[in-house]
Amino acid sequence: METILNTQFDQLQKAIEGIKEAKSKGQSTDEARIATTLMFVALKHANREVKHKIKAGRDKLHLEKCKVDLSRLQLQNLLYEVSHLKKEIVRCQKFKSRDTSLELLSDAEYSSELPDMAKDEEELSSHKQHLHRLDCELRLRKALDKQYSALLSSKQELLQDNLSHAQRYVSFAPALRTLQSATKPLHDALQLSLDVEWKLSAVVKYLPKPLYVFFIVLQSLQRVSDEQSFTAEVVGYESEAQMQELLKEKKCSTLNYRQESGERDKIAEKTNLDEALAPHPLHICLTIGAAGSNQLVLQIRYFDLIKCATVWGQLNCSGNSNGQADANFVHHLLRHLYPNDLGNELPIPGIQYELRSSDLTAEECVRYLKAKDYGKPFCWLQSMCSIATVNSSMLYNHELNLNKNTKEIINRIARRLNSWQRLSQQIRGLTFKDIDLYSLKENIYPAGLSCSLVQWTAITHEELHSQISDALNTSTADKGITYNSYRAVIVRGSAKMECFIRIPSNYPLEMPLWILNVHWNGCLTAQNNSAIKMMEFWTNSLQPKQLEPNHCVLYAQLFRTIYSFDIFLETEGSMQNTIEYNKEKPYISAFAKRSRSRPYKYIKKGSVYAFKQ
Amino acid sequence: MKQKDLKRAYNNVLAQAISDSNQYLFAGNLFGDIFVLRIKELDKGSEEPPGKLKIFPQGSDVDINYLTFHRDFLIVGAVGLIYGLKWNEEEESLATKRSWEVKIPIQVDAVEVPDVNSMWLDSENSILFAGCGDGVIYQVSLEDGRIQREYRGHTDYVHSVVGNAKGQIFSGAEDGTVRVWSTKQQQHTSMLEPYKNPNLLRPDWGKWIGAVAVNEDWLLCGGGPKASIFHLRSLESTCVFNFPGRVHLCDFVDDCVLIGGEHNHVQSYTLNGVLQANIPVEHTACYSAVWQTSPIKFISIAGFSNKLHILKDFRFLDSKIDMYGNVEGEENDLEEEDELIEKPLTVEAA
Repeated sequence: METILNTQFDQLQKAIEGIKEAKSKGQSTDEARIATTLMFVALKHANREVKHKIKAGRDKLHLEKCKVDLSRLQLQNLLYEVSHLKKEIVRCQKFKSRDTSLELLSDAEYSSELPDMAKDEEELSSHKQHLHRLDCELRLRKALDKQYSALLSSKQELLQDNLSHAQRYVSFAPALRTLQSATKPLHDALQLSLDVEWKLSAVVKYLPKPLYVFFIVLQSLQRVSDEQSFTAEVVGYESEAQMQELLKEKKCSTLNYRQESGERDKIAEKTNLDEALAPHPLHICLTIGAAGSNQLVLQIRYFDLIKCATVWGQLNCSGNSNGQADANFVHHLLRHLYPNDLGNELPIPGIQYELRSSDLTAEECVRYLKAKDYGKPFCWLQSMCSIATVNSSMLYNHELNLNKNTKEIINRIARRLNSWQRLSQQIRGLTFKDIDLYSLKENIYPAGLSCSLVQWTAITHEELHSQISDALNTSTADKGITYNSYRAVIVRGSAKMECFIRIPSNYPLEMPLWILNVHWNGCLTAQNNSAIKMMEFWTNSLQPKQLEPNHCVLYAQLFRTIYSFDIFLETEGSMQNTIEYNKEKPYISAFAKRSRSRPYKYIKKGSVYAFKQ
Repeated sequence: MKQKDLKRAYNNVLAQAISDSNQYLFAGNLFGDIFVLRIKELDKGSEEPPGKLKIFPQGSDVDINYLTFHRDFLIVGAVGLIYGLKWNEEEESLATKRSWEVKIPIQVDAVEVPDVNSMWLDSENSILFAGCGDGVIYQVSLEDGRIQREYRGHTDYVHSVVGNAKGQIFSGAEDGTVRVWSTKQQQHTSMLEPYKNPNLLRPDWGKWIGAVAVNEDWLLCGGGPKASIFHLRSLESTCVFNFPGRVHLCDFVDDCVLIGGEHNHVQSYTLNGVLQANIPVEHTACYSAVWQTSPIKFISIAGFSNKLHILKDFRFLDSKIDMYGNVEGEENDLEEEDELIEKPLTVEAA
C-alpha cells in the first residue's frame, strides 16, 4: 500500500513539476492539469483503502483481546478453586467426628436389638457399616427419648392426680372433725373410748409410712377378731424417731454444701454402710401364737434407703421344752411361705438404679441385712406394708386389699408354725424315744407290731446322698429348698431296716421323703428289689389329705414303714426254708399281680381290717 | 414329695402293646396312665430330640395289668375287668369312653376281686384268653363279650398265658405249675412243675412261674425257678439259662431267647443256653417286652422305672425314653398346692 501511495505521490509530484515547467515555459497546461486531477481520484481511492484496512486491523485486535481476557478469567477461577480445595483439604484433615465419643451398643446387643438391620449391614464396607450403626443408634435414641418424655408426662399426670386427691382429702378434714365432735355425745353415751386408745399409741405416728399402714391394719384386725391369735407392738423410743427426723432435715440442708465437697464424701459414705442402711429407729414386733405356748416373734423393720421392710423371726419358747433344735425352722417357714419368694433380692422396682447413686448394689444390701440379723425383704411382707413389688420373675404386684391379705398371711404363718412345731415335736419324740409307739399306733392299726424302732438320729446331707436312689434324683428344679436328714433303724429278729428320711424346708407343702434299705440276706434297696421299692412308694405316697385330723405325719409314715417291713418279712419269709417270721398280719394273699406285689395297703371297713395289695 | 415327683420315681409299667398298624406303642402302669409313643420317632436321627409321648389317664383307681391290641381296639386288663378303648389312628387319640367291658366273675369263695394278669389273643378267631388272679383262665369271645368257658386247675393266681396256632393254651402260675390246655378238653392236657427239678429250683425264691413263652417246638418258662426250655412233645428240660434274678419276662425273639426280671440286666441267649447279649437296664424289675421287625425293627422293655428301654438291633441299648416328664401338654398344668393342715398343738402341762 505504501509503495502504491509512494508511486502515486511520485507520479503526482512529477505531474505538478511537469505543469510547473509547462507554465514556466508558458505552454498550455490544461491537458496536464486534467491528468493530474484524475490522479487525485486514485489517491483518494488509496486513502479510503488504507482507512478500511486500519479498521479491520482494529477489529481483529479487539477480538484477540477478548479471548485473552476470557482465558485470564478462567485462570483466575481455577486458581481460586485450587486455593479453595486446599483449604477444604486442610479442613477435612482437621475434621473430627463426634461419633467417636459416643457410646454405641455392643455388637451383640445391637444385633439382638435390631436383628433385621444387623443382617443388612453385612455386605457393606466398614465405614458404611459404622454409618448404618450410627443411624440405628439415632433411631433408637429417638425412640428412647420419646419414651422418656412419655414417662415424664405420665409422671406429671400422676403428680397432678396425687395433688388433686390430696386436696380432696384435705377438704374432708374439717367435715370429719365436725363429725367427730358431733358424735362425741354418742360415744360418751355408748361408753366408747376411741380417743383414749388412739392417744395411747402416740408413738405410732412416728412410724415410717409403710409400717404405719401395716400397724393400723394389724390393729384393726385385732379389734375385729375375737381370739387373740397375734399381738403387735411398736418397739423403740419416740425421742429417737424425732431425733432422726431432725437429722434428716439437717442432712437435706447440708446437701448443697456436700455436693461441692465432691468425691471425698462418697468414699466415706461407702465405708459407712452402717449409717446408710440404718433401719428406722421404730420397728414392729409381731407375736403370733397364744400366750403360754410357743410364740413366733417377728421383728419387722423398715429401711429408708432400700425402701422396703425386712422381717426377722425368732421362736419364743415357753415352758421347759428344748427350742434350740427348732431355731432354724422359723427361717424355713418364712422363706417358703409363698413359692418363689425366698427373699434373696430386693423386690422394689428400680431400686438398683437408686442405689447406684449412692454407690451400692442390691446384693451388697441383702448381704448386709443378713449379716446384721435384720432378716430378709420378702415380697409377702411388702404386700402387707402396701409397698409395690417386683418379684424374681419380674411380676409386678401392688396389694390393695390390705385387710384380707394381711389376715391371710398371718393365718398362713400361724398354720405353718403349727405344722412345724408338731413336726419338731415328733422329731424330738423320736430322737429321745419319749414316745410310746405301742399306744400311739392303737388308733391307727389294731394289728400287733412286731418290729421296733431302735434308733433315730440326725445325719448330714452327705450321708443321705451316699444312698443311690431314683427318688432322690427325680426331684424337679430346686427352688431354694434345703433339707434336714435323719436316719432311723428298725429291727425285727435278724433283719434290720435303715430308713433315711429327708425333710424339705418347704414342709408342709412337701412331705418328708423316706429311703429304705433292708439288711437281710444281703442288702435290699429300691434299686435291686421291687418289693422294697413298692414299700418305699407306699410310705412316700402318704398325702396330707389322707391323714386324719389327729394324726402326725412322721408317725403315720413311720407306721406305714414299720408295718410294710413286717409284711415284707412275713411274705418273703413264707418262701424260705427255715421259717423265721410267721404270718401275723391279717392279709389275704401274700402276692398278687405279675409284679408279685405285697399287701402293704391297709384297708379298714368298719371293724374289719386287712392288708391288701 | 410332690405327686408329680412321686409318679416319676415309682412308675411301675406292667404292660405294653403295639398297634396293629405297627405305628404306635402303648404302655400302661399301675397309676392308671396309658402312654402312647409314635414308633417312627425312634427312627429319627439322633440330632433332633424325639417327640413327646401322649398320655391317656384311666383314673388313679385303675391298675393296668395287661395290654393287648386287636383291630382298632386297645384291650386293657385291669382289676376284675377287661375293657376295650377305641384307638383313632388319624387323630392319634384313645377314646375316653370304654367301648365295651367284660367283668370277670367273682367266685363264691373269693374275698378279693381278681386281677387280669395276662391275656393272650387269638386274633384269627377273635378270642381272648385271660389269666386271672383267682387262678382261672377265662376264654372271652370278642364278638359278643361272652365268657365262653373257664379253664380251672391252678391253685394260685395265673402269671402268664400264651397259646399257639394248634389251639393249645399254656399258663404259668404262682402255684409253680405250667399247664397245657386244649380248647377241646375240660382238664389240662399236661402239666409241668419246674420247681421239682433240682437243676431249676432256687429254694429261697419260691416255686412260682412268672413268665411263659412258646413257639412251634419249644416252651420257655421261668420265675422263682431258673428259666428253662422244654420240648413241647416230651416236656423234658433241654436247656437251663443262668439268668441271675427272678424271672418276670421271657420270650422267643427271632432265634434267641430274651429273659428279664428282677435284675439290672436283661439277657439274650441262644437256644443252646449261650449268653449272647447282656443289656443293662434301669428297671428295678422288668415286666414287659414287646417287639416287631417291620417297618421299624425294635424291642421295647418296660418295668419298674420311668423309662422305656429301646433296642433297635435286639442286642444293644439304643435309647431310654422318659414317660412322666416327657408328655405333651405337661408343662401347662400347674400343680395345685396341697398343704397339710393340722390341728393346733396342745402343750401338755409340764
